[in-house]
Amino acid sequence: MSRLVKKCPSVCTDLPLSNADVCGKLRLMMELLRSCYGPTARLKQVHNNIGGLVVTTSTSSVLLPAITSSHPLINVMKSSLLSHVHRFSDCGLFAAILCLSLVEQAKLSGVREHAVIRVNNHLLAMCISYLQQDGCSCKVSLDFCRSQNLIALARSVISSKPACVLTELESLHISRLAVHAFLLTVPCSIPGTVSLGKIVTVTIKGHSVLESAVFTGLLVDVPEDNFFDTKDSFSAPLLMVLFSASLAGDLCEVGEGVIQAHPHLDTASQILDQLLELGKQVVKDEVRVFVCQKVIHPVLQRFLRCHGVFVIERLGVALMEPLTQMTGAQPVATLHSTPPAVAYGKIRHLSVKQFGPKKLLHLQPFEESTVCTMVLCHRNETMLNELKVVSQKTEHVLRLTLREPSALLGGGCTETHLAAYIRHKCKNEVSETATGLGCSQTEYLLAVEGFCHSLEFVASSLEHDGGTSVSDLTHAHNWTFPPDILEEQMDGSVGFCGCGVVGSSSSTKWTFLKTEHPGFSPVPVVRDTPVQPSVLDSFAAKLSAFQVAVETANLALDVRYVIQDVN
Amino acid sequence: MLESGIINRRHHVGLQKVSALAEMGHSFVGPYKKYKFIQDDTNGGSALVCSCFRVIESLEPTCAVGQIVLDTIQAHHEVYRTGSGCLLFLAGAWSRAALDCLERGISVTHIISAMSEGMDICIDVCKKSSVPFEALADTGRCTATSRGSGSQLVKKPTPETSQVSGHMRGTATVGHQTLNISVQRKVKLSRHFYGTEVVSPVVLPDQPKFPDISHISTALSHGCDNSMKLAVEVVQMQWKTDQQEMNYPTFDTTKVMTCVLPCLPEDCACVVPGCVVLLSSEQASIAHQIKEKPLKVAFINGDLSHTYRHLGFKSLTGLQRVSQLSDLSHSSGEDEWLEKVVKLLLTLEVHLILTAGFAHEKLIQSCLQHKILIVEKVKLSVIRMIAKSVGAVPVTYATQLSKHCVGTGVQVAIWRDLSSFERTASTVVNISTGMNTGLVTVVISSCLPGKLQGLEDQFWACAHRLHHSMKDQAILPGAGGTEILCFHHLQRQAEYHSRRHTEAFRHNAGAVVNPYKSVVLGLMAGGLLDYIITVMANSGTISAVTAKAVVSHQLQKFHKDQNISGKFPQLILEGENEASATLSVMSSEEVPSIQIYDNVSVKQDAWRRALDLVFLVLQTDAEIITGGGSNDGADLMLL
Repeated sequence: MSRLVKKCPSVCTDLPLSNADVCGKLRLMMELLRSCYGPTARLKQVHNNIGGLVVTTSTSSVLLPAITSSHPLINVMKSSLLSHVHRFSDCGLFAAILCLSLVEQAKLSGVREHAVIRVNNHLLAMCISYLQQDGCSCKVSLDFCRSQNLIALARSVISSKPACVLTELESLHISRLAVHAFLLTVPCSIPGTVSLGKIVTVTIKGHSVLESAVFTGLLVDVPEDNFFDTKDSFSAPLLMVLFSASLAGDLCEVGEGVIQAHPHLDTASQILDQLLELGKQVVKDEVRVFVCQKVIHPVLQRFLRCHGVFVIERLGVALMEPLTQMTGAQPVATLHSTPPAVAYGKIRHLSVKQFGPKKLLHLQPFEESTVCTMVLCHRNETMLNELKVVSQKTEHVLRLTLREPSALLGGGCTETHLAAYIRHKCKNEVSETATGLGCSQTEYLLAVEGFCHSLEFVASSLEHDGGTSVSDLTHAHNWTFPPDILEEQMDGSVGFCGCGVVGSSSSTKWTFLKTEHPGFSPVPVVRDTPVQPSVLDSFAAKLSAFQVAVETANLALDVRYVIQDVN
Repeated sequence: MLESGIINRRHHVGLQKVSALAEMGHSFVGPYKKYKFIQDDTNGGSALVCSCFRVIESLEPTCAVGQIVLDTIQAHHEVYRTGSGCLLFLAGAWSRAALDCLERGISVTHIISAMSEGMDICIDVCKKSSVPFEALADTGRCTATSRGSGSQLVKKPTPETSQVSGHMRGTATVGHQTLNISVQRKVKLSRHFYGTEVVSPVVLPDQPKFPDISHISTALSHGCDNSMKLAVEVVQMQWKTDQQEMNYPTFDTTKVMTCVLPCLPEDCACVVPGCVVLLSSEQASIAHQIKEKPLKVAFINGDLSHTYRHLGFKSLTGLQRVSQLSDLSHSSGEDEWLEKVVKLLLTLEVHLILTAGFAHEKLIQSCLQHKILIVEKVKLSVIRMIAKSVGAVPVTYATQLSKHCVGTGVQVAIWRDLSSFERTASTVVNISTGMNTGLVTVVISSCLPGKLQGLEDQFWACAHRLHHSMKDQAILPGAGGTEILCFHHLQRQAEYHSRRHTEAFRHNAGAVVNPYKSVVLGLMAGGLLDYIITVMANSGTISAVTAKAVVSHQLQKFHKDQNISGKFPQLILEGENEASATLSVMSSEEVPSIQIYDNVSVKQDAWRRALDLVFLVLQTDAEIITGGGSNDGADLMLL
């Protein structure tokens, strides 16, 4: 008996942002993400509460997917932020905090949403054009002839994630490795279109971080009983075949359909015969290394080994592309025809690399190759997982520098600097701009102040230990004072600003962030000083994060109705 | 998403959880371990445990922090098989130290930087106070002679040690402070151990190729004398069979397996070369028939059944068998397979099969008739080892077997008939090869089945301690000796920093980088002191209060007498007969005749892992709970 249940009508709610519950949730999300920002951040344990894996992290690429809300507005904002993270890896938390703060500031100011949206867009355009100017004083152009700035950039990314638990020395080591690996992926002298190589990351648990290393070629985890005894036989240029099809001896998926077969037909043995045919052909072609992405039938493995072929099975999909790139082999997707000679690739050398108790097989490229392997070691799994995420993020950030060879000052200095720049610039032309944007002067000034507040809020979010964030009134860089600092100590030297470019002196004038202070035009730091910024942010990632944050905030402010299908 | 926030920063719930979990393992540090019953109220099951690792494992913590603790301990146990008690204790003690710091308003960043510095100091102390393996392995011989004279323990350099001490003479003058000696490892057994006068070398009649490890093994037994005896026997057996030239002694624990017998008394535990397994009565009868003859043997990687397929094989679901006429005479695939395998085994003349998985019941039966013995559930590593030594190749399917895969020369010997002990008769057989596999089985037995796991764990702990002492080529003064040195150094650093801080404050000479360093280091040292006191109290000879008094007395002496770098305070004595002597031993000049030592890498790693755990938990301020699950609801915030 079938039963028909009447569908519930969709629920429509208006003005989600004026709902206290939604605002509370946005506030919670902001607190959650804000506390994860920067090198002294607090970590979060992500788990499913039923005994699943516990991940300790402060990385947006792990946190954001874990967050799901009961309210669609928050989910929309989340997916918008997440798409930025997928494209740029870095500055995810920056975008999230800025976006949520913009929404909150807009609510607080009481200005009409449409006016705020227009002013936000205007200010965004102003910021972007300023940042893209050559004379922008919070931009550093990267010199590829010297690794110093590249290492500083890598190091800023790596040290911004405290769940890696790295010492100064260790984070420097990893930064150097990251830059080294990145440089290995850039081809030297290949004519035609240049394509970057691949970095494959291998993790080894239980070792000191300082034992991490970078190798050219690929390192593959192979069961130990498969290792060869005679090393020298695998050192000449070796012919290699690579299968992407499963050679386990099973029939491929037939989907929903049914196969009808004669009762005496033994499909397994027929496929095995086919596999052995393949094996014979490969042996005849003098292939020395036989690699399969998936499982190889044990009988075929035995056959190949008997004929002096080195067998690697279960390579995994992640290594397929790097291996084809390195060896020039073409993955064979069928076992029903013999692989053509062009599909074979070449390897220079096979050897075993030992890391403590773990042995890895090292495949060295026959020709100059842009594929390299980064072996990451750490004492425990939690920290190692975070280190892997961070090192891949660093790789991405370094690649982005090829598109735009510059970086922005980190440590909150770009944000405070931009805030001072906007305040100064907007003050001079209030009336024209306000009328141009179709809002009153008061509205305009309030919205500008909200925007600048949000920027400063992001800068001050770097501090988590109760310290105070201040800005100097000359360069408008970001500084952090410890919570128990005395008035007289503020007059003396308090070290360097967030990005490490400006040093303090007794004449430095301070203003606390989020307090009223007279507007000023930030003075660019004299560039010929030997001081190099110690904290740098990716230019491309930050620019995109800026846009995503403002656009997402505008979208959230623009939503009037939420229509939910509750069936 | 549900999200539970820890609101009050000064009462960090995560750290409190770690400390509470650690509390439970307190009785497991020190040489005398007491058994604990763990009872499951839901299903009435219970377990008898006597190590920290097993407690945490059987408790199956469900909270996130508990799980991280379990993961940490498991990772440590996997590698070292010992030292998890020390790890958990210090994780708890340092969690309390961190909590204390938070209560005093010290920021997380400052706590972490100071504690990492403290760890560097401790590791440095370990490096400097470690004793080379050879020095102690030889000491066994010298003490034997010098003890007879009844004088102080003056270690005369023997030809072997003179090289070491000669090297020492150049670099280190004894009486130096430990802190400013170069990083090189020093021998500092006593202040007399640097032999300026050349003693006429003792002529050893038969210099053994391998060092005497009796002394070192006693030093590393940590109260598990019987298990250590077994481990020493294993080492000696390995050295006897493996005559290869080695630069330094090694102990390969991968070539050791254990066989647990639940029916024999504990003193039947012994070490047997070869692979010892327990067989059922049916299989025992074939064993009797084929015993002590060279046999042909086959090795199977997986299950021995017709339905078994190798890992990664997907059997087709949508396959239908159609035939035109009903074929009633047709036999099933199972019978066909059975017939084929038995025929193959007979043609290959195989009489013994070792399989990593299970064997098909019918196959076992038909093999019984043909005098073929099938041994199930053999560890893959053991299969590989035996296969390699007899020149065989393990295969996945029985049908794969060919002449080349089969090995020859394996013997089955009845090791012990247990028919008299158990109702169902069973027999223990030893599978050995004529060649030297180096494979050694340790038979562990107890009349109480509940104790078996504890005994097995104890053996592995001892074996790994020996293994690591040879791998590290050095050991650390145990019985709280290293800890008290670390405590001393941490305190000295703490004092130094507090002096510097007050001076800087007085002269108003700018901000000090970390003004709380002295407090944090002091609290961290307090954690180590807790450990020392608990170990002493757990040794059963003195109460915690007395222990405290003894330690503080020792420390006072330490401070007075800076000339201590050559001596390590041995705070605990093993053996009940010497219980009364504990206090007097600690008094002064006398160095106890039995020294207790710990492993360098085990201790350092346990410390580091404990601190890493504390750091991760300390920095965490909230949990993000994905998915449903049972929520307590109380303090969860919904997003």
